[in-house]
Amino acid sequence: MEAKERVNDTEEKEEAWSWGAGTEGQLGTGKLQDEHIPQLLPILSSLSLLSCGGAHVIALTPGKMVLTWGRGTSGQLGHGNLVNSLEPKPVDLLNNYNITHVSAGWNHSGFVSESGHLYTCGDGSFGQLGLGDYRSQNCPIKVSCFAFRHVEQIACGMRHSLALLKGEHGDQVYSFGSGKRGQLGTSNEKIKSISLPRSVSGLEEVKVSSIIANGDHSAALSADGHLYTWGRGFGGTPEVCCPNRVISPFSFTQATLGWNHALILTDEGEVLMLGGSHHGVLNNPQKENLAKQDSNEAHLQKIHGLNRIKVVGIASGAEHSVLTTENGVVMTWGWGEHGQLGLGSTSDHTSPQVVRLGENVAHEHMTSKVYCGSGFTFVVRTQRGKRD
Amino acid sequence: MSYDDVEIEDMEWNEELKAFTYPCPCGDLFQITKDELKIGEEIARCPSCSLYITVIYNMEDFSDQKSKTNIEPAKQQPVAVA
Repeated sequence: MEAKERVNDTEEKEEAWSWGAGTEGQLGTGKLQDEHIPQLLPILSSLSLLSCGGAHVIALTPGKMVLTWGRGTSGQLGHGNLVNSLEPKPVDLLNNYNITHVSAGWNHSGFVSESGHLYTCGDGSFGQLGLGDYRSQNCPIKVSCFAFRHVEQIACGMRHSLALLKGEHGDQVYSFGSGKRGQLGTSNEKIKSISLPRSVSGLEEVKVSSIIANGDHSAALSADGHLYTWGRGFGGTPEVCCPNRVISPFSFTQATLGWNHALILTDEGEVLMLGGSHHGVLNNPQKENLAKQDSNEAHLQKIHGLNRIKVVGIASGAEHSVLTTENGVVMTWGWGEHGQLGLGSTSDHTSPQVVRLGENVAHEHMTSKVYCGSGFTFVVRTQRGKRD
Repeated sequence: MSYDDVEIEDMEWNEELKAFTYPCPCGDLFQITKDELKIGEEIARCPSCSLYITVIYNMEDFSDQKSKTNIEPAKQQPVAVA
Protein backbone atom coordinates (compact mmCIF):
# COMPACT_ATOMS: atom_id res chain seq x y z
CA MET A 1 0.00 0.00 0.00
CA GLU A 2 2.75 2.37 0.94
CA ALA A 3 4.52 1.77 -2.32
CA LYS A 4 1.31 2.37 -4.21
CA GLU A 5 0.95 5.83 -2.75
CA ARG A 6 4.56 6.73 -3.27
CA VAL A 7 4.86 5.84 -6.94
CA ASN A 8 1.88 6.79 -9.03
CA ASP A 9 2.93 5.31 -12.33
CA THR A 10 3.25 1.76 -11.08
CA GLU A 11 0.64 -0.86 -10.50
CA GLU A 12 0.53 -3.86 -8.24
CA LYS A 13 -0.39 -7.25 -9.53
CA GLU A 14 -1.17 -9.98 -7.04
CA GLU A 15 -1.33 -13.66 -7.88
CA ALA A 16 -2.29 -16.66 -5.74
CA TRP A 17 -0.74 -20.06 -6.51
CA SER A 18 -1.35 -23.46 -4.94
CA TRP A 19 0.00 -27.01 -5.25
CA GLY A 20 0.28 -30.34 -3.39
CA ALA A 21 -2.41 -32.56 -1.88
CA GLY A 22 -5.78 -31.54 -3.28
CA THR A 23 -8.26 -34.37 -2.95
CA GLU A 24 -10.42 -32.43 -0.45
CA GLY A 25 -10.59 -29.29 -2.57
CA GLN A 26 -8.03 -27.46 -0.42
CA LEU A 27 -6.09 -26.09 -3.41
CA GLY A 28 -9.04 -23.91 -4.43
CA THR A 29 -8.62 -25.02 -8.03
CA GLY A 30 -12.16 -26.36 -8.32
CA LYS A 31 -10.71 -29.85 -8.80
CA LEU A 32 -10.29 -32.80 -6.42
CA GLN A 33 -6.78 -33.84 -7.30
CA ASP A 34 -3.14 -33.38 -6.29
CA GLU A 35 -1.13 -30.86 -8.29
CA HIS A 36 2.61 -31.33 -8.71
CA ILE A 37 3.24 -27.95 -10.32
CA PRO A 38 1.98 -24.54 -9.13
CA GLN A 39 -1.57 -23.68 -10.21
CA LEU A 40 -2.59 -20.06 -10.70
CA LEU A 41 -5.88 -19.28 -8.98
CA PRO A 42 -7.73 -16.57 -10.87
CA ILE A 43 -10.49 -16.26 -8.27
CA LEU A 44 -8.19 -15.19 -5.48
CA SER A 45 -6.84 -11.89 -6.70
CA SER A 46 -6.37 -10.05 -3.45
CA LEU A 47 -5.67 -11.48 0.00
CA SER A 48 -4.40 -9.96 3.19
CA LEU A 49 -3.94 -13.15 5.22
CA LEU A 50 -4.08 -16.86 4.57
CA SER A 51 -3.99 -19.82 6.92
CA CYS A 52 -3.86 -23.45 5.79
CA GLY A 53 -4.86 -26.42 7.97
CA GLY A 54 -5.05 -30.19 7.61
CA ALA A 55 -7.06 -29.95 4.40
CA HIS A 56 -8.82 -26.58 4.52
CA VAL A 57 -7.88 -22.94 4.01
CA ILE A 58 -9.04 -19.67 5.58
CA ALA A 59 -8.40 -16.42 3.70
CA LEU A 60 -8.95 -12.82 4.70
CA THR A 61 -9.55 -10.24 1.99
CA PRO A 62 -8.44 -6.59 2.33
CA GLY A 63 -12.14 -5.78 2.81
CA LYS A 64 -12.06 -8.07 5.91
CA MET A 65 -14.24 -10.71 4.30
CA VAL A 66 -13.49 -14.29 5.43
CA LEU A 67 -13.33 -17.01 2.77
CA THR A 68 -12.91 -20.73 3.44
CA TRP A 69 -12.59 -23.83 1.26
CA GLY A 70 -11.36 -27.46 1.31
CA ARG A 71 -12.43 -30.15 3.78
CA GLY A 72 -15.56 -29.28 5.70
CA THR A 73 -16.59 -32.60 7.19
CA SER A 74 -16.12 -31.40 10.79
CA GLY A 75 -17.71 -28.01 10.20
CA GLN A 76 -14.32 -26.28 9.97
CA LEU A 77 -15.38 -24.12 7.00
CA GLY A 78 -18.04 -22.38 9.10
CA HIS A 79 -20.58 -22.56 6.30
CA GLY A 80 -23.26 -24.14 8.50
CA ASN A 81 -22.86 -27.57 6.96
CA LEU A 82 -20.50 -30.56 6.89
CA VAL A 83 -19.53 -30.58 3.24
CA ASN A 84 -16.28 -29.86 1.40
CA SER A 85 -16.03 -26.73 -0.71
CA LEU A 86 -13.94 -26.83 -3.88
CA GLU A 87 -13.90 -23.08 -4.21
CA PRO A 88 -13.50 -20.14 -1.83
CA LYS A 89 -16.80 -19.29 -0.17
CA PRO A 90 -17.53 -16.45 2.27
CA VAL A 91 -18.29 -17.22 5.90
CA ASP A 92 -21.43 -15.10 6.03
CA LEU A 93 -21.78 -15.25 9.78
CA LEU A 94 -18.53 -13.31 10.22
CA ASN A 95 -19.44 -10.55 7.76
CA ASN A 96 -20.06 -7.85 10.32
CA TYR A 97 -17.28 -8.70 12.76
CA ASN A 98 -14.25 -7.16 11.03
CA ILE A 99 -12.06 -10.25 11.31
CA THR A 100 -8.36 -9.36 11.60
CA HIS A 101 -6.66 -12.70 12.38
CA VAL A 102 -7.44 -16.31 11.44
CA SER A 103 -5.95 -19.76 11.93
CA ALA A 104 -6.70 -23.17 10.40
CA GLY A 105 -5.86 -26.28 12.45
CA TRP A 106 -6.08 -29.93 11.48
CA ASN A 107 -9.91 -29.89 11.42
CA HIS A 108 -10.84 -26.71 13.27
CA SER A 109 -10.74 -22.96 12.67
CA GLY A 110 -10.30 -19.77 14.69
CA PHE A 111 -11.21 -16.17 13.81
CA VAL A 112 -10.33 -13.01 15.78
CA SER A 113 -12.30 -9.80 15.35
CA GLU A 114 -11.03 -6.24 15.46
CA SER A 115 -12.84 -5.77 18.77
CA GLY A 116 -10.87 -8.68 20.28
CA HIS A 117 -13.41 -11.47 20.21
CA LEU A 118 -12.55 -15.05 19.28
CA TYR A 119 -14.83 -17.29 17.22
CA THR A 120 -14.18 -21.00 16.60
CA CYS A 121 -15.74 -23.82 14.60
CA GLY A 122 -14.97 -27.34 13.36
CA ASP A 123 -13.86 -30.41 15.29
CA GLY A 124 -14.26 -29.95 19.03
CA SER A 125 -13.65 -33.55 20.16
CA PHE A 126 -10.64 -32.55 22.25
CA GLY A 127 -11.97 -29.23 23.54
CA GLN A 128 -9.96 -27.34 20.90
CA LEU A 129 -12.82 -24.89 20.25
CA GLY A 130 -12.56 -23.53 23.81
CA LEU A 131 -16.33 -23.51 24.24
CA GLY A 132 -16.46 -25.54 27.46
CA ASP A 133 -17.58 -28.78 25.82
CA TYR A 134 -16.34 -31.45 23.44
CA ARG A 135 -18.84 -30.81 20.67
CA SER A 136 -18.09 -29.83 17.09
CA GLN A 137 -19.60 -26.72 15.51
CA ASN A 138 -20.32 -25.96 11.87
CA CYS A 139 -20.75 -22.20 12.38
CA PRO A 140 -18.30 -19.88 14.14
CA ILE A 141 -19.25 -19.56 17.83
CA LYS A 142 -17.96 -16.82 20.12
CA VAL A 143 -15.60 -18.08 22.84
CA SER A 144 -17.53 -16.58 25.73
CA CYS A 145 -14.71 -17.10 28.20
CA PHE A 146 -12.87 -14.22 26.44
CA ALA A 147 -15.98 -12.02 26.12
CA PHE A 148 -14.50 -9.26 28.27
CA ARG A 149 -10.89 -9.70 27.17
CA HIS A 150 -9.02 -8.62 24.07
CA VAL A 151 -7.87 -11.52 21.90
CA GLU A 152 -5.29 -10.54 19.32
CA GLN A 153 -4.18 -13.81 17.71
CA ILE A 154 -5.31 -17.41 17.41
CA ALA A 155 -3.16 -20.45 16.49
CA CYS A 156 -4.77 -23.83 15.81
CA GLY A 157 -2.79 -27.08 15.94
CA MET A 158 -3.83 -30.67 15.37
CA ARG A 159 -5.98 -31.05 18.48
CA HIS A 160 -5.27 -27.89 20.44
CA SER A 161 -5.39 -24.10 20.15
CA LEU A 162 -3.45 -21.12 21.50
CA ALA A 163 -4.82 -17.60 21.94
CA LEU A 164 -2.78 -14.43 22.50
CA LEU A 165 -4.49 -11.81 24.65
CA LYS A 166 -3.41 -8.22 25.05
CA GLY A 167 -4.43 -6.09 27.99
CA GLU A 168 -3.47 -3.71 30.78
CA HIS A 169 -1.76 -6.55 32.59
CA GLY A 170 0.49 -7.35 29.65
CA ASP A 171 0.32 -10.20 27.18
CA GLN A 172 -1.13 -13.54 28.07
CA VAL A 173 -1.11 -16.79 26.13
CA TYR A 174 -4.00 -19.18 26.71
CA SER A 175 -4.40 -22.75 25.50
CA PHE A 176 -7.17 -25.32 25.21
CA GLY A 177 -7.79 -28.74 23.65
CA SER A 178 -5.61 -31.84 23.88
CA GLY A 179 -2.64 -31.74 26.21
CA LYS A 180 -1.42 -35.31 25.83
CA ARG A 181 1.99 -34.19 24.56
CA GLY A 182 2.35 -31.19 26.85
CA GLN A 183 1.23 -28.78 24.11
CA LEU A 184 -1.05 -26.82 26.46
CA GLY A 185 1.89 -25.63 28.57
CA THR A 186 -0.38 -24.86 31.50
CA SER A 187 1.35 -26.89 34.20
CA ASN A 188 4.28 -29.17 34.84
CA GLU A 189 2.07 -32.19 34.40
CA LYS A 190 0.48 -33.38 31.21
CA ILE A 191 -3.25 -32.75 31.01
CA LYS A 192 -5.39 -35.04 28.86
CA SER A 193 -7.54 -32.23 27.57
CA ILE A 194 -9.33 -29.01 28.60
CA SER A 195 -12.28 -27.40 26.88
CA LEU A 196 -12.00 -23.99 28.55
CA PRO A 197 -8.98 -21.75 27.95
CA ARG A 198 -6.30 -21.83 30.61
CA SER A 199 -3.27 -19.56 30.93
CA VAL A 200 0.10 -20.90 29.69
CA SER A 201 2.63 -20.77 32.50
CA GLY A 202 6.08 -19.28 32.29
CA LEU A 203 5.39 -16.54 29.74
CA GLU A 204 4.10 -13.97 32.24
CA GLU A 205 7.14 -11.72 31.91
CA VAL A 206 7.49 -12.15 28.15
CA LYS A 207 6.20 -9.67 25.58
CA VAL A 208 4.79 -12.09 23.03
CA SER A 209 4.62 -10.94 19.41
CA SER A 210 3.22 -14.10 17.86
CA ILE A 211 1.96 -17.57 18.72
CA ILE A 212 2.36 -20.70 16.60
CA ALA A 213 0.71 -24.15 16.75
CA ASN A 214 0.87 -27.21 14.49
CA GLY A 215 0.72 -30.94 15.10
CA ASP A 216 1.29 -31.40 18.84
CA HIS A 217 3.74 -28.48 18.99
CA SER A 218 3.24 -25.01 20.46
CA ALA A 219 5.47 -21.94 20.29
CA ALA A 220 5.60 -18.25 21.13
CA LEU A 221 7.92 -15.66 19.64
CA SER A 222 8.82 -12.70 21.85
CA ALA A 223 9.16 -9.11 20.72
CA ASP A 224 12.86 -9.24 21.62
CA GLY A 225 13.51 -12.17 19.30
CA HIS A 226 13.38 -15.21 21.57
CA LEU A 227 11.52 -18.39 20.72
CA TYR A 228 9.76 -20.53 23.33
CA THR A 229 8.49 -24.02 22.45
CA TRP A 230 6.46 -26.63 24.31
CA GLY A 231 4.62 -29.86 23.55
CA ARG A 232 5.98 -32.74 21.52
CA GLY A 233 9.78 -32.80 21.32
CA PHE A 234 11.81 -32.25 18.16
CA GLY A 235 14.00 -34.94 16.62
CA GLY A 236 13.39 -37.52 19.34
CA THR A 237 13.76 -35.17 22.29
CA PRO A 238 11.35 -35.55 25.23
CA GLU A 239 8.04 -33.74 25.48
CA VAL A 240 8.06 -30.40 27.29
CA CYS A 241 5.06 -29.33 29.38
CA CYS A 242 6.04 -25.67 29.86
CA PRO A 243 7.45 -23.04 27.49
CA ASN A 244 11.15 -23.66 26.99
CA ARG A 245 13.41 -20.96 25.52
CA VAL A 246 15.43 -22.04 22.49
CA ILE A 247 19.02 -21.19 23.31
CA SER A 248 20.70 -19.37 20.45
CA PRO A 249 22.94 -16.37 19.86
CA PHE A 250 20.57 -15.20 17.09
CA SER A 251 17.55 -12.97 17.28
CA PHE A 252 14.45 -14.46 15.65
CA THR A 253 11.85 -12.63 13.60
CA GLN A 254 9.61 -15.50 12.48
CA ALA A 255 8.96 -19.13 13.42
CA THR A 256 6.76 -21.83 11.93
CA LEU A 257 6.00 -25.39 13.08
CA GLY A 258 5.53 -28.68 11.27
CA TRP A 259 4.63 -32.00 12.89
CA ASN A 260 8.27 -32.91 13.58
CA HIS A 261 10.24 -29.75 12.90
CA ALA A 262 10.34 -26.01 13.42
CA LEU A 263 11.68 -23.39 11.02
CA ILE A 264 13.11 -20.20 12.45
CA LEU A 265 14.10 -17.02 10.62
CA THR A 266 16.84 -14.85 12.11
CA ASP A 267 16.99 -11.06 11.85
CA GLU A 268 19.83 -11.55 9.38
CA GLY A 269 17.63 -13.45 6.97
CA GLU A 270 19.04 -16.86 7.78
CA VAL A 271 16.83 -19.96 8.21
CA LEU A 272 17.43 -22.46 11.00
CA MET A 273 15.67 -25.76 11.62
CA LEU A 274 14.87 -27.50 14.89
CA GLY A 275 14.37 -31.28 14.69
CA GLY A 276 13.42 -32.48 11.25
CA SER A 277 15.46 -35.68 11.16
CA HIS A 278 12.84 -37.07 8.74
CA HIS A 279 12.90 -33.91 6.68
CA GLY A 280 13.26 -34.68 3.02
CA VAL A 281 13.82 -38.40 3.60
CA LEU A 282 10.36 -39.61 4.52
CA ASN A 283 10.13 -41.74 1.38
CA ASN A 284 13.64 -43.08 1.60
CA PRO A 285 14.26 -45.38 4.57
CA GLN A 286 17.94 -45.82 3.70
CA LYS A 287 18.62 -42.13 3.82
CA GLU A 288 16.55 -41.88 6.97
CA ASN A 289 19.01 -44.03 8.88
CA LEU A 290 21.81 -41.73 7.83
CA ALA A 291 19.87 -38.70 8.98
CA LYS A 292 18.99 -40.05 12.41
CA GLN A 293 20.14 -37.91 15.28
CA ASP A 294 21.94 -39.61 18.13
CA SER A 295 21.78 -36.67 20.46
CA ASN A 296 19.06 -36.46 23.08
CA GLU A 297 18.75 -32.73 22.59
CA ALA A 298 17.35 -31.13 19.48
CA HIS A 299 19.73 -28.55 18.14
CA LEU A 300 19.35 -25.73 15.67
CA GLN A 301 20.68 -26.57 12.27
CA LYS A 302 21.45 -24.28 9.39
CA ILE A 303 19.75 -25.06 6.11
CA HIS A 304 22.32 -26.14 3.56
CA GLY A 305 22.40 -24.92 -0.01
CA LEU A 306 21.15 -21.39 0.54
CA ASN A 307 24.53 -19.69 0.01
CA ARG A 308 23.74 -16.59 2.00
CA ILE A 309 20.55 -15.85 0.11
CA LYS A 310 18.51 -13.43 2.20
CA VAL A 311 15.28 -15.11 3.30
CA VAL A 312 12.28 -12.94 4.20
CA GLY A 313 9.50 -15.48 4.78
CA ILE A 314 9.06 -19.11 5.89
CA ALA A 315 6.26 -21.67 6.16
CA SER A 316 6.05 -25.27 7.40
CA GLY A 317 3.75 -28.03 6.27
CA ALA A 318 3.47 -31.19 8.34
CA GLU A 319 6.60 -32.60 6.66
CA HIS A 320 7.70 -29.98 4.12
CA SER A 321 9.13 -26.48 4.22
CA VAL A 322 8.84 -23.35 2.10
CA LEU A 323 10.81 -20.11 2.08
CA THR A 324 10.83 -16.92 0.07
CA THR A 325 13.73 -14.57 -0.64
CA GLU A 326 13.87 -10.78 -0.84
CA ASN A 327 13.39 -11.05 -4.63
CA GLY A 328 10.23 -13.07 -4.28
CA VAL A 329 11.86 -16.39 -5.19
CA VAL A 330 10.06 -19.37 -3.63
CA MET A 331 12.01 -22.47 -2.53
CA THR A 332 10.73 -25.77 -1.10
CA TRP A 333 12.16 -28.90 0.47
CA GLY A 334 11.10 -31.89 2.60
CA TRP A 335 8.45 -34.54 1.86
CA GLY A 336 7.16 -34.42 -1.72
CA GLU A 337 4.87 -37.41 -2.19
CA HIS A 338 1.79 -35.29 -2.99
CA GLY A 339 3.62 -32.73 -5.08
CA GLN A 340 3.66 -30.30 -2.14
CA LEU A 341 7.13 -29.11 -3.19
CA GLY A 342 5.71 -27.90 -6.53
CA LEU A 343 8.71 -29.18 -8.47
CA GLY A 344 6.75 -31.30 -10.93
CA SER A 345 7.51 -34.59 -9.19
CA THR A 346 6.74 -36.52 -6.02
CA SER A 347 10.37 -36.75 -4.88
CA ASP A 348 11.61 -35.69 -1.47
CA HIS A 349 14.36 -33.06 -1.19
CA THR A 350 16.76 -32.45 1.67
CA SER A 351 17.76 -28.93 0.57
CA PRO A 352 15.73 -25.95 -0.77
CA GLN A 353 14.82 -26.08 -4.48
CA VAL A 354 13.54 -23.16 -6.57
CA VAL A 355 9.87 -23.41 -7.58
CA ARG A 356 8.87 -22.09 -11.01
CA LEU A 357 5.77 -19.93 -10.78
CA GLY A 358 4.64 -19.48 -14.37
CA GLU A 359 6.89 -17.73 -16.85
CA ASN A 360 7.89 -14.80 -14.70
CA VAL A 361 11.35 -14.71 -13.27
CA ALA A 362 12.13 -13.16 -9.92
CA HIS A 363 13.13 -9.51 -9.74
CA GLU A 364 13.55 -6.77 -7.21
CA HIS A 365 9.95 -5.57 -7.57
CA MET A 366 8.52 -8.88 -6.56
CA THR A 367 7.56 -10.18 -3.13
CA SER A 368 6.00 -13.48 -2.18
CA LYS A 369 4.16 -14.63 0.91
CA VAL A 370 4.27 -18.36 1.61
CA TYR A 371 1.79 -20.58 3.46
CA CYS A 372 1.60 -24.33 4.11
CA GLY A 373 -1.17 -26.73 5.01
CA SER A 374 -0.37 -30.29 6.11
CA GLY A 375 0.39 -31.56 2.59
CA PHE A 376 -0.07 -28.50 0.38
CA THR A 377 1.35 -25.06 -0.31
CA PHE A 378 0.02 -21.58 -1.16
CA VAL A 379 1.96 -18.57 -2.42
CA VAL A 380 0.66 -15.04 -2.86
CA ARG A 381 3.01 -13.10 -5.11
CA THR A 382 2.94 -9.35 -5.62
CA GLN A 383 4.61 -7.68 -8.59
CA ARG A 384 5.07 -3.98 -8.89
CA GLY A 385 5.62 -2.89 -12.44
CA LYS A 386 5.38 0.22 -14.58
CA ARG A 387 2.10 0.79 -16.35
CA ASP A 388 2.16 0.27 -20.11
CA MET B 1 9.80 -47.24 8.24
CA SER B 2 6.87 -46.40 10.51
CA TYR B 3 6.06 -42.68 10.54
CA ASP B 4 5.11 -42.70 14.21
CA ASP B 5 4.03 -44.91 17.13
CA VAL B 6 0.51 -44.07 18.26
CA GLU B 7 -1.40 -45.47 21.23
CA ILE B 8 -4.86 -46.78 20.42
CA GLU B 9 -6.37 -44.38 22.98
CA ASP B 10 -5.02 -41.47 20.92
CA MET B 11 -6.83 -42.72 17.83
CA GLU B 12 -10.42 -41.76 17.05
CA TRP B 13 -13.22 -44.13 16.12
CA ASN B 14 -14.69 -43.07 12.78
CA GLU B 15 -18.19 -44.44 12.37
CA GLU B 16 -18.30 -43.74 8.64
CA LEU B 17 -15.02 -45.52 7.92
CA LYS B 18 -15.67 -48.15 10.61
CA ALA B 19 -12.05 -47.75 11.60
CA PHE B 20 -9.80 -46.19 14.21
CA THR B 21 -8.07 -43.19 12.65
CA TYR B 22 -5.17 -40.82 13.27
CA PRO B 23 -4.17 -37.75 11.22
CA CYS B 24 -1.65 -38.39 8.42
CA PRO B 25 0.70 -35.54 7.47
CA CYS B 26 -0.68 -35.67 3.91
CA GLY B 27 -4.07 -34.50 5.17
CA ASP B 28 -5.82 -37.89 5.05
CA LEU B 29 -6.17 -40.40 7.91
CA PHE B 30 -4.23 -43.47 9.00
CA GLN B 31 -6.82 -46.23 9.43
CA ILE B 32 -7.11 -49.62 11.13
CA THR B 33 -10.28 -51.69 11.62
CA LYS B 34 -11.37 -53.64 14.72
CA ASP B 35 -11.03 -56.87 12.71
CA GLU B 36 -7.43 -56.03 11.93
CA LEU B 37 -6.72 -55.27 15.59
CA LYS B 38 -8.36 -58.55 16.55
CA ILE B 39 -5.86 -60.55 14.54
CA GLY B 40 -2.90 -58.62 15.90
CA GLU B 41 -2.30 -56.21 13.02
CA GLU B 42 -0.38 -53.22 14.31
CA ILE B 43 0.11 -51.19 11.14
CA ALA B 44 -2.43 -48.44 10.32
CA ARG B 45 -2.14 -47.27 6.72
CA CYS B 46 -3.13 -44.08 4.94
CA PRO B 47 -5.17 -44.73 1.78
CA SER B 48 -3.68 -41.67 0.06
CA CYS B 49 0.06 -42.16 0.54
CA SER B 50 2.89 -44.54 1.36
CA LEU B 51 3.12 -43.65 5.05
CA TYR B 52 1.95 -45.87 7.91
CA ILE B 53 2.02 -45.80 11.70
CA THR B 54 2.50 -48.47 14.36
CA VAL B 55 -0.49 -48.79 16.66
CA ILE B 56 0.26 -49.59 20.29
CA TYR B 57 -2.54 -51.65 21.91
CA ASN B 58 -3.36 -54.79 23.84
CA MET B 59 -4.59 -57.47 21.48
CA GLU B 60 -6.71 -58.97 24.28
CA ASP B 61 -8.78 -55.78 24.39
CA PHE B 62 -10.04 -56.60 20.91
CA SER B 63 -10.43 -60.35 21.10
CA ASP B 64 -14.01 -61.73 20.86
CA GLN B 65 -14.22 -62.89 24.47
CA LYS B 66 -13.64 -59.41 25.73
CA SER B 67 -15.67 -57.55 23.14
CA LYS B 68 -18.04 -56.20 25.81
CA THR B 69 -15.26 -54.56 27.74
CA ASN B 70 -13.55 -52.97 24.76
CA ILE B 71 -11.77 -49.79 25.58
CA GLU B 72 -13.51 -46.81 24.08
CA PRO B 73 -11.17 -44.22 22.66
CA ALA B 74 -12.23 -40.63 22.03
CA LYS B 75 -15.31 -40.68 19.87
CA GLN B 76 -16.12 -38.03 17.34
CA GLN B 77 -18.87 -35.95 18.90
CA PRO B 78 -21.99 -35.07 16.94
CA VAL B 79 -21.83 -31.71 15.24
CA ALA B 80 -24.24 -29.13 16.58
CA VAL B 81 -26.34 -27.65 13.81
CA ALA B 82 -26.75 -23.93 14.18
